[in-house]
Amino acid sequence: MSLIKKIVTWARIKSPWIIHFNTGACNACDIEIIAALTPVYDVERFGVILRGTPRHADVLVCSGPVTRQIKDRLIRIYEQMPEPKFVVAVGTCACSGGVFNGCYNVEGGIDQVIPVSAYIPGCPASPKAIIDGVVKLLASVDNASKPAKETVVSGT
Amino acid sequence: MLAEEEKIKQQLAERFGLPAEKITVQRERRIWADVQAAEFGEIFDYAVDKLGFVILATITGLDEGPTLGVIYHIARESGIILNLHISVPKDKPVIKTISARFPAADAYEREMVDLLGMQVEGLPPGNRYPLPDGWPAGQYPLRKDWKSDTIGKTEVTENA
Amino acid sequence: MPEREVKLTIGPQHPMLKEPESFLLTLRGEKITDMTVRLGYNHRGIEKACEQRTYIQDMYLVERVCGICSHSHSTCFIQAVEEIAGLQVPKRGLYIRTLISELERIHSHLLWLGVAGHEIGFGTLLMYTWRDRELVMDILALISGNRVNYGMNTIGGVRRDITAEQIPQILSAIDTLEERTKYYIQVGTQEITLRERLSGVGKLSREDATHLGAVGPTARASGVNRDVRRDDPYAVYGELSFNVITDEHSDVYGRTLVRVGELMESYKLVRQILKQMPDGPVVVKAPRKIPAGQAVSRYEAPRGEDVHYVKANGSDKPERVKVRAPTLANVQVVAHMLKDGYLADTPIVIAAIDPCFSCTDRAIATTNIDNGRTDRMDWPTLRKYGIDWYSKQGIDFAELNRKLRTMRESN
Repeated sequence: MSLIKKIVTWARIKSPWIIHFNTGACNACDIEIIAALTPVYDVERFGVILRGTPRHADVLVCSGPVTRQIKDRLIRIYEQMPEPKFVVAVGTCACSGGVFNGCYNVEGGIDQVIPVSAYIPGCPASPKAIIDGVVKLLASVDNASKPAKETVVSGT
Repeated sequence: MLAEEEKIKQQLAERFGLPAEKITVQRERRIWADVQAAEFGEIFDYAVDKLGFVILATITGLDEGPTLGVIYHIARESGIILNLHISVPKDKPVIKTISARFPAADAYEREMVDLLGMQVEGLPPGNRYPLPDGWPAGQYPLRKDWKSDTIGKTEVTENA
Repeated sequence: MPEREVKLTIGPQHPMLKEPESFLLTLRGEKITDMTVRLGYNHRGIEKACEQRTYIQDMYLVERVCGICSHSHSTCFIQAVEEIAGLQVPKRGLYIRTLISELERIHSHLLWLGVAGHEIGFGTLLMYTWRDRELVMDILALISGNRVNYGMNTIGGVRRDITAEQIPQILSAIDTLEERTKYYIQVGTQEITLRERLSGVGKLSREDATHLGAVGPTARASGVNRDVRRDDPYAVYGELSFNVITDEHSDVYGRTLVRVGELMESYKLVRQILKQMPDGPVVVKAPRKIPAGQAVSRYEAPRGEDVHYVKANGSDKPERVKVRAPTLANVQVVAHMLKDGYLADTPIVIAAIDPCFSCTDRAIATTNIDNGRTDRMDWPTLRKYGIDWYSKQGIDFAELNRKLRTMRESN
């Protein structure tokens, strides 16, 4: 890898900027994501920062089974993120629809709409699992040359 | 112990000539009354203005087969809930809005419009709730004969 | 130069917590003249799904109506089912249910305090309260096995008992939290910048609160003395003594005081519950098929009155389940509160009803009606706008943080 590429990859891994989006979830995963950012779990010490706009973000942290109303917004947000981008599906609903699978207003999992890089199951996924999943994703960025399609599953 | 509840039952029965088996005191703080849709307006106003049922808890819509049912759950400050049930024919399900008296009711009425196909006269203009704008007309999810997989996943998308 | 009308959409995407929803504000200069709300982004079709699943499955489904007040929804639903089936839940089971209810109230109000702090630019409060909240999460995980979505309820009682070893841990966490909450009260009521920022904002008179049907702390802060725990007692609230906290400020400051006051009451309640809890079984066997009947169940969730209606038809699946969450009642009040308010106050006013979808952290598109030009303002920009606007009025948060640090160091 050229020097510039090495520096860019290093920055990307050491300080991923995330944007969080709730596609119709019950909020449990969302508060666990926020809990991961506040004291006790505190991912900000690892360089992760929560941004307000998709245009500044490397990683889209997504929760919720995708409802019909939100589907187009999700696609729009994904398209606004600059490459390379990663999508992390947090929670069982984001992975497969969870308890809402089969409901009439629900698509059933984020990968029905956009490509997902990492799945973090759990109802809700605990902050430890979320951190574990993000770390595994970053490790795969480090190792591989095509990070966007890698599928990583994290435990609790 | 159920003195207050029995009193309310009596007042309603006497005032509107309702048969006793149509009003039930289920337990403390819970009264159920089955009334004719045509008499509903008067009974409702009486309960709210004269009997002190000033809190609207919610409005439930039901699919009862040949009819659509509506239950108005109204409560007193002291905790007693009066549940007023009416039925309207499914092929002509028309009710009048109560949102002039209870502005909060419009959300509950819109829910019945979207999910059950109820027609509510007098609803103020506003966004539909809770279904998306592109939802096909004539599809009412909460009706018993509607199957969850009726509408394909990619057919309906976003709101305005 | 005449003031122009601008329409601002605070649309459904946002990074900070909550569900998506859409607010369309009409602005004249700084002032908001009108607001409409668009909901439904979170509509998952739960009521329909409930009819197609058994009561036990519905218990887990209804719990996930909202993750923050999951026990509220689960208990409210179960109470209605138990009433139809004529089940008498053993006292100890009811006490444990009430214990989890109060612990949930504590975690929810602390969560709200942090979020409110974040919305007005007081990030330290977010970090402090969420750190304290972890104490409650640990206790809930100790008792139920999960931090969120506890799954403690079953039809006929609760699924797990409390052991003697857990009780001192719960009490010690409550003691610590009580000390911390007293500190927040001290800071909140004595710090002028905080009072200025929250007072006079999001005004809701008592008449409007009752007419528009506001519930929970939003209504109680306008002097409306209603609380389902006292008015329509369920579980063991009839046997516990507690105060219903009301306030006359009728604004966001009042809502803050009410929630903090309720925190203090919840600590007292938890201690009472642990002291008065009798021995005995925690669950009674429930039939798979619930006989025909109907029931209405009410519950005081942290956000206000939660109402569930259940109709059973003799099978193992319900005929109809209706859920009216408290935020639906309060959303219609937000439009009223924002009228004649300032754009800079929007974040805190929307957050002050503690919506189960609050802060609007999304890309905001503003369209200038006159020339049709569209600008983009994201949430951090809008927040910064609010903070800057207030610092021009002489309210400085950096000053407050400095003072707090000095206070802590001298203690």
